[in-house]
Amino acid sequence: MAQALLFILIGAGLLIGVLWAFRPGSGWYWRGKTQVEMTDRVRTEDAVKHVHLSNLRGLQPTLESLAGALQVTGNEAAAVAQSLTQFGLAELRDGQLHLQPRGVEAALHIIRVHRLWEQHLAEGTSVSDGEWHAQADRIEHQLSAQEADKLAAQMGNPLRDPHGDPIPSHAGSLRPQDGLPLSSVAVNQSYRIVHIEDEPVAIFSQIVASGLQPEMELRVLENSARRVRVWADGCEHVLAPLLAASVAVRPVEVQAQEVAQRPLSDLEPGQASRVVSISHACRGLERRRLLDLGLLPGTMVYAELRSPSGDPTAYRIRDTLIALRRTQAQWVRVE
Amino acid sequence: MSTVMPTAEDILAGAETLRWSAGVNFHEQLVEAIYTDAARLTDRAVTRPDSPLRFDFDRTVDKLVTSRWFGFPLMLLMLATVFYITIVGANVPSALISDLLIGIIHPLLKQGSAALGVPFFIDGLLIDGMYLGSAWVVAVMLPPMMIFFPLFTLLEDFGYLPRVAFNLDAIFRKSGAHGKQALTMAMGWGCNAAGVVATRIIDSPRERLIAIITNNFALCNGRWPTQIMIATVFIGVLAPPGWGGLVSALAVVGVAVLGILITFASSFLLSRTVLKGEVSTFSLELPPYRPPRIWQTIYTSIIDRTIIVLWRAVMWALPAGALIWLAGNVNVSGLSIAEHLIQFLNPAGLVLGLNGVILLAYILAIPANEIVIPTVLMLTALSAKMAGVGAGAGVMFDAESDAQLAQLFAAGGWTLLTAVNLMLFSLLHNPCSTTIHTIYKETRSAKWTTVAALMPLLLGFVVTFVVAQLWRLVAAG
Repeated sequence: MAQALLFILIGAGLLIGVLWAFRPGSGWYWRGKTQVEMTDRVRTEDAVKHVHLSNLRGLQPTLESLAGALQVTGNEAAAVAQSLTQFGLAELRDGQLHLQPRGVEAALHIIRVHRLWEQHLAEGTSVSDGEWHAQADRIEHQLSAQEADKLAAQMGNPLRDPHGDPIPSHAGSLRPQDGLPLSSVAVNQSYRIVHIEDEPVAIFSQIVASGLQPEMELRVLENSARRVRVWADGCEHVLAPLLAASVAVRPVEVQAQEVAQRPLSDLEPGQASRVVSISHACRGLERRRLLDLGLLPGTMVYAELRSPSGDPTAYRIRDTLIALRRTQAQWVRVE
Repeated sequence: MSTVMPTAEDILAGAETLRWSAGVNFHEQLVEAIYTDAARLTDRAVTRPDSPLRFDFDRTVDKLVTSRWFGFPLMLLMLATVFYITIVGANVPSALISDLLIGIIHPLLKQGSAALGVPFFIDGLLIDGMYLGSAWVVAVMLPPMMIFFPLFTLLEDFGYLPRVAFNLDAIFRKSGAHGKQALTMAMGWGCNAAGVVATRIIDSPRERLIAIITNNFALCNGRWPTQIMIATVFIGVLAPPGWGGLVSALAVVGVAVLGILITFASSFLLSRTVLKGEVSTFSLELPPYRPPRIWQTIYTSIIDRTIIVLWRAVMWALPAGALIWLAGNVNVSGLSIAEHLIQFLNPAGLVLGLNGVILLAYILAIPANEIVIPTVLMLTALSAKMAGVGAGAGVMFDAESDAQLAQLFAAGGWTLLTAVNLMLFSLLHNPCSTTIHTIYKETRSAKWTTVAALMPLLLGFVVTFVVAQLWRLVAAG
């Protein structure tokens, strides 16, 4: 009796201990793993990336900005800068960091892997958009140039990452980012979002939460020092100018129509409507599946049956009865 | 025209410029153009009847089978009917095949080899080991599959099964799975290997993996007989006279329902842990109803499902039969290998509330769950040194009556706990090698095959261990 009780207690204790140690995210196993990964090499690579990205944005990288980007103290940043000069990656002139050709090459490789991996997560997995950046920040230090090429080839050599940033080519050239900040454009004109800046994360996640996505067409309703109001994806979005500055847009010739839209999931059985678009937040396999089913602008859709358990709903699309779950039907905008 | 031929570099540079200017959405414009073209072609070539009669028929049937009140009862009725026909219908051919392969051909082979003077070990290895093992698998496996699969395929062909997935999707969605898993699970009740193949209907990669890994929790055709036998001999006898049949049937159904619950629980955990990042998309076509093509269905379901699965099972049963016979007949320092292994496994078995015989039987019978019980009986008789019971060392046999079974189990030191844990372990252990082989063929991944093979086994160890300890605690207290 006592022995059996002891067995159960020991078994349960062991099980709980193992689960605790491997708890996703914060268990000591994962923490230890990330600790090991934060080596000097990672810091050096992050440093060249920071210098190169600052140059691209027309900023002058300094020791202070480096310390900020790596989230280390000024002294540690100086040590990193010193190792950059030692390896011949960069040099420090007048308090500013300048990359050497080898440094540019290293930076482009890191940026290429980062953006490729973000594109891979967006198109080939169901990892949510808030996690892309952090995961890519880890992977960028782990893939070799050959592995990056293989990954790119698998995805058909994509040109841009999911935020609209150009991906450096295999040869190591990076197209400059084009587009105007949304905070600076004229009212009553139509634009297409070409890029959403993914750093800092706090601002990026607010933009994502507002529902704006690259490739979305929008019409500017108001642009003042207090707020920016745009019409996109069938409804109005209001952004603070600070957020709008992180959204880059390009003018389009065709004016975006201000049609009232609603998600397909709002259709009750017996109702019918015409497809306007598929939300740009829907990506990869999921998007291709909806397109393959023939959910294209102008297609008539009839809601026909609802499952006795409330979800999914069967829609008649091009003479075929297709059941879609509520979460999917929400991607599809209808009149 | 005096234009200079463009060089390869020029063309590549031009293509690059075009790619950048085309934007990300050109795939969509492409799909749109294809659909517009297709629509134009069909409008030109296809004439539609004015009165869509079939369309109305489909609508009426759909309204009925997916209605709030009739949807679920209709489903249960269909399922119960399919099972009833399978179980009742399989008894007769199963007995016939068994009589032929084991009752008539086996003794004939033995007489023949005796007349030819074949040495004892060759005769035993080939006839008592390999032949008998495969014959057993065929006799138990073939008839239910020949009835269950065609019935299932007929329902599929008629168009009813997608509606079942449609009705049940909400439950599966909550556990991170696909509604069509209801169908692959039902197929798994026939045979897990066939259930794994059936997951091809799930087109979302993550949900398909979930369906493959959890299919083993659907109690397959090879395990139902084990459940029914153990429930009859150990649990049925606890009930008041006359109620034994009902109580043991309830016990078996309880184990099957436990399997369904574990399917949901493990789908839930898998989709939120190891399979979290895999791609997931849902779509379910509800095809128009069609009159089923009966002969074609029977033909294809026998060829595609039954024969392939049976072939794989026999391929695995041949070496297993040989191993079982060798384990019972090769002696090392006075005891057969089987007895050595049983003694070695016994302590572990007892901690799990089982015994060494059961563990060894599950190791030897990895090729097919169908031969677990004959192997258990043979090993029990062997290790308990029961004279006159069974057909000799290393030769599988079936008991003549429940009384003989009870006597045999008593000699093996079985208790009610052993029986309950055997029923649980029969539900929760590694899939048979045919299924593992099929999982590898379907996933092409050693990693997922390992997960699918080891997860249920681990779960089985944990569950039987906890039950055994609690049982002893209560019994002692």
